Amino acid sequence: MTHQGTAAIAVEGLTKSYGGTPAVTDLTFTARAGAVTGFFGPNGAGKTTALKVIVGLAKATTGRVLVNGTPVERTRPDARTLGVAIEPCGAHPGRTGRAHLTSLAALAGLPRRRVAEVLELVELDRAAGRRVGAYSMGMRQRLGLAAALLGDPAILVLDEPANGLDPQGIRWLRALVREHAAAGGTVLLSSHLLSEAAHTVDDLVVIDRGRLLHAGPLSALDPATSLEDLFFDLTERSAP
Amino acid sequence: MTHLLRGELIKTVTTRTALAFALGGIAFTVLNVLMITKASGTLDDLHEKEEALSGLPILLLLWGLVGAAGEYKHRTAAPAALVARHGRATALMARIAAYALTALLIGGLMIAISVGLALPLLADHPGTPLTAGGVTAIAASDLAAFVLSAIMGAAIGALVRNPVAGVVILLIVNFAVIPLIAGSHESLANLTPFGAAGVLARMTHDTTLSVAAAGWVLLAWTAAFVAVAFVSEQRRDLA
Repeated sequence: MTHQGTAAIAVEGLTKSYGGTPAVTDLTFTARAGAVTGFFGPNGAGKTTALKVIVGLAKATTGRVLVNGTPVERTRPDARTLGVAIEPCGAHPGRTGRAHLTSLAALAGLPRRRVAEVLELVELDRAAGRRVGAYSMGMRQRLGLAAALLGDPAILVLDEPANGLDPQGIRWLRALVREHAAAGGTVLLSSHLLSEAAHTVDDLVVIDRGRLLHAGPLSALDPATSLEDLFFDLTERSAP
Repeated sequence: MTHLLRGELIKTVTTRTALAFALGGIAFTVLNVLMITKASGTLDDLHEKEEALSGLPILLLLWGLVGAAGEYKHRTAAPAALVARHGRATALMARIAAYALTALLIGGLMIAISVGLALPLLADHPGTPLTAGGVTAIAASDLAAFVLSAIMGAAIGALVRNPVAGVVILLIVNFAVIPLIAGSHESLANLTPFGAAGVLARMTHDTTLSVAAAGWVLLAWTAAFVAVAFVSEQRRDLA
């Protein structure tokens, strides 16, 4: 694991444009080791776009992303370093959940037993033989999380991981990310569920229309101000 | 690199697509043999007999195209790239190799069926019979056409990234554009990927291109598409 408190992910002046239209503009923040960083913003704020650039699936137009101090485009993608779950889960609907994870384990050079381990961890072992097309949204979410956990990575980047999960699933997810951070790991997660996220995150990053509105520790907030209050205050103030 | 190939092979065989293409290939092969040997009159010329053993390389091209483009449609390319421990070009190379290997299996099955079915039926036709060496040469060139077509299809699929659009474009080119070219300039049509694949797979025998030359033409087209796909894969966003 990365040394606790150091920036495992550093986003520096990140801008991502599609055909000249900026989706993310001059975004700067860090996600430190040993903490859960919540990445919040309204629909269309640019959260998923930013996460795709952070993990290396999309290229920054300008600016850069450092993962453990190395520019992400220069790092070798490795399930042991970075676990990613970005919606949708990236599994072929005609393939079984087990086959999906088995192919990823093979691609990552991981032992086949990891597939059974993560299936059990996300409580999907009994449905592993079913085709992904028959999965509920919550099951697909769990499959995406299983893929992210396959290499037991130090850094987790999760896009709306609580979407579609039932209350037990949300509680399980909260425990998972808290334990990961407590063990020195880094978690960067986006979420719409502000009240739930308030129980999970240590640090906050709030964006709207692709621009940073706030970054800092949750503990720095006035105790009388809830995460929800802060979010609405920031996003309403940024509205044109 | 072997772990990448293993992972990609698992992906190719764990959906119903591979089975559908294999069954389609078998059905076409049986139909082609029966049509040529039973419904095309007397086959007294050696080239006419060869046509009974011809394959359908476009089927394997579609196999590669649908499979590789489906990686982007279903977003399975992204999680694969995130764990590959290699760059995107290497990951794409492994994917293309997986489609080539499965094309070898599907194509091999099609050839085995066509030889097993056609040889007894061709024995009833007059003229010079096919020799063992001749049959082996046809099988080898058929297989080369199948594998190269699958590789080209996978490269095109990685470029187009949309299976439906890819198939529509391919069918328009194969069944409308190429016949138009062939109508006025047969030699030019034979230099297209489909024309060369057709000659290599013995689908046509009245041609301006030798089988060996067709093999080189198809290889050159395949290499060009693969090179463009590699460059594109490294430059474009994966999600």
